[in-house]
Amino acid sequence: MEFEESGIGEECGVFGCVAAGEWPTQLEVAQVLTLGLVALQHRGQESAGIVTSDGGNPPTYMSHKGMGLVNSAFPPDALLKLRHGNLGICHTRYSTTGISELLNCQPFVVDTLHGRIAVAHNGELVNSRALRKKVMRHGVGLSTCSDSELITQLLAQTPPMEELDSPDWVARIKNLMTETPTSYSLLIMFKDVIYAVRDPYGNRPLCIGQLVPISKLHSSGAGEEDTEGWVVSSESCSFQSIGAKYYREVLPGEIVQISKHGIKSLNVVPRPEGDPPAFCIFEYVYFARPDSIFEGQMVYTVRQRCGRQLAIEAPTDVDLVSTVPESATPAALGYAQQSGLPYTEVLCKNRYVGRTFIQPNTRLRQLGVAKKFGVLTDNFAGKRVVLVDDSIVRGNTISPIIKLLREAGAKEVHIRVASPPIKFPCYMGINIPTKEELIANKPQFKDIAGYIGADSVEYLTVEGLVTAVQEGVAAMQDHMGSKKSRVGHCTACLTGKYPVELEW
Amino acid sequence: MSNPEEAKATTTPHVVKEELMASGNWVKLEKTTYVDPAGNTRTWETVKRTTRQNNTEADGVGIIGVLKRTLHKDCMVMVKQFRPPLGCCTLEFPAGLIDEGETAEAAALRELKEETGYKGEVVGVTPVTCLDPGLSNCTTQIVLVNINGDDVENIHPTQELGEAEFVEVILLPLDEIQTKIDDLLQKEKIMVDSKVYIFAMGMAQAFFKPRELPVLKQ
Repeated sequence: MEFEESGIGEECGVFGCVAAGEWPTQLEVAQVLTLGLVALQHRGQESAGIVTSDGGNPPTYMSHKGMGLVNSAFPPDALLKLRHGNLGICHTRYSTTGISELLNCQPFVVDTLHGRIAVAHNGELVNSRALRKKVMRHGVGLSTCSDSELITQLLAQTPPMEELDSPDWVARIKNLMTETPTSYSLLIMFKDVIYAVRDPYGNRPLCIGQLVPISKLHSSGAGEEDTEGWVVSSESCSFQSIGAKYYREVLPGEIVQISKHGIKSLNVVPRPEGDPPAFCIFEYVYFARPDSIFEGQMVYTVRQRCGRQLAIEAPTDVDLVSTVPESATPAALGYAQQSGLPYTEVLCKNRYVGRTFIQPNTRLRQLGVAKKFGVLTDNFAGKRVVLVDDSIVRGNTISPIIKLLREAGAKEVHIRVASPPIKFPCYMGINIPTKEELIANKPQFKDIAGYIGADSVEYLTVEGLVTAVQEGVAAMQDHMGSKKSRVGHCTACLTGKYPVELEW
Repeated sequence: MSNPEEAKATTTPHVVKEELMASGNWVKLEKTTYVDPAGNTRTWETVKRTTRQNNTEADGVGIIGVLKRTLHKDCMVMVKQFRPPLGCCTLEFPAGLIDEGETAEAAALRELKEETGYKGEVVGVTPVTCLDPGLSNCTTQIVLVNINGDDVENIHPTQELGEAEFVEVILLPLDEIQTKIDDLLQKEKIMVDSKVYIFAMGMAQAFFKPRELPVLKQ
C-alpha cells in the first residue's frame, strides 16, 4: 500500500493489437487498444498514447496522445480518428515530476530507411547514458531525455549486413539487444506487423492473448478459424475485458512477430553464459494487478503465499489479523490462514482521496493519511491486532494508521510486512526514493517498531519471498510437464545484487 | 373570364376498370382505366404480382439487418445476386415475398435466415411502401432487424438457399457503407438498389455531417 503513498512508481504499461483475417477489419482495433490501456491503468496514470496503422504499403499511421487517465486522454473524437486501424500499439505512462510532458508521451513514431516505425517501451535501459553518447556520436540528435526515444533511434540504425531494399528487423532488434541488456519490454510496429520483444533477463513482463468471439471465450471450442485478432500486453489482466484468451508469455530474450496470420517466434537472444533470468520480483509483491498471470502463476496466489510464509517466519500472539486496504489483502489472508487466526477488517478506505505524497511536508502528509482511512472500531477495540502490509518504505504512512488504531482502542498493534525491506535503488524502471529516504537505511531502522509506534515489526526475509515466488513456478513446470527452464528473479532493491553490471 | 384554378376540376382520381392482358406464373400485365384529377378517363399499363397474399397489403419484405458483435463495427448485411431483368448483379437488402399466413416480421426473419444464415430479432417495421409506382402496384415493408453476432448460431452462419438461388452475403460497416459501395462500383459491373444507396447516403450524413466543419466542403 505504501508504494502509492511514497511515490514509488511503476514505469508504464504497453499494449498492442493486430486484427486477424481480412483487412480492412471489422474489429474495432482502437476500442480494443483503449480497453487494454484502461486495464493497465494501474501501471501509469500520467498520460496515455495510441498509434494505429492501416497496415498498407506504405502504411498510414494515426496517433493520439493525451495527459491524464485513459478516459480523459481519449475523448470520443480521438477514437473516431483512429477507427481505420487494422493494428496498433499503445502505452500508459507513470507520473514523474508532474511537468506536463506530452512530448515524452509514447508510442514514439519515427521514419527509418525502410519506413515508419512506432515503438512502445516499458522499462529503463541500465546503460542509457553511454548509449545516448554513442547514438549522438553517430550524428543523431535526441529531442527528449527518454530511453524510449533512444531505443527508437537504435532501431533506425542500419545493421552491417542488411541489404538495401529489404529491412531485416530481427537483425535490427538483435543489434539493439546486444547494445543494451536490460530492462525493456518493447512493442515495435512496422508496416503490417508488431514485433514483441522482451530483454534477455525478462525483467519486465510481456504476454500474448488471442481474441475470440465472446461466446467462445470460456469454452474450449475456439479453433484456429475463430481467432479474431492477437493482443500483446504488459499484464494478462487486460485480456478478460476485451474477450481474449491468455495464450503465452513472451520469453526472456524472445522476438515474436504478431501479424494477421498469427504468432511466430523469430528468435531468442540468450543471456551471457551462466546468468539467470531476472524477472522483477516487485511485480509480484506490489505492482501487478492480482489477477495477472506471470510464469504460469496468478499474482494473487503468490501474495497469499507470501502471507503464509510471513506467518511461518514471524508469528504473532494476537486476537486477529487484518490488512491495510487493498493491496495487502491477499497477504493478510494468507497470514490468517496459516496462523489460524480470524481475518477481520479494521480500516475503511476512502477511495476518492487521491495520493497523499504530493502534500508538501510530513505533518500534512500524516493528516492526509488520516483522511484516507477510517477505523472500524467495533471490530478491534480492546483486542490485539496484527496488521499485514505489503511494504514499508519510508514509514510515513503506517505510523498514522497505527496511531488511529490505538486511539480507537486497539490493545496492541503489531506490523508484519509481506516483503523484505528496500535498501537499494532500482535502475530497471522502478522509481524508488533516494537511498537516504528509505527507512531501511536509517539508523532508526534498528528500532523500527519504536519509530513507527508499533508493538513489533517483522519483515518477510528475502529467502522467504523468493521461496514463495519460485515454489509456484516449479509446481507449474512439473504440472505442465514442460522443460525445466531456468527460474530467476531480480531482487536488486532488496539485496544490492544487480542482474547486470551497471554503468557508473 | 373563367378562373384558371377552376379549369382544373376537383375530381378525386380513381381507378375505373382493370383488364387482364397477359399473365405468367409470377407476374401479370393489366390495362388500368382511371379518371385523372381533371376528370378525363385514361388508361395505364400496370404490372402486378400474382403472389400477393390475402391477409397483407405488402407483396414482400426487405430487411435492414445490422450485425452487432462485441468490439466489432456494426455491419449492414447485404446480398449480391444476378438479376435477370437487369442482366447483371445487384447489391440489395435481403428480401423476399410474404408467404401465406405470414406476418411481415415473420417473413423478414425467415428470408434473412434463408438468404444469409443469420438469426435476427425484429426491432421495427415501416409502413407499407411502394417500390416502382409508375410500373406496378408492388409494395414492400422494410423490417429493421438486429442480429446478435455474439450468439454461437451467428458466428459461422449457413445459408438455406433454394435450387435457383445464388446469393453472396456482403457485410459493410455502418459508418462506411457509402464509401464501400462506391469502391465496389469502381471495381465491378454491379447495380445498386436505390433503397440501399439512399440509406447509405443517410448513414454517411448521420455519421459525418454533424462533425464536418462547414467551411471545409469537398
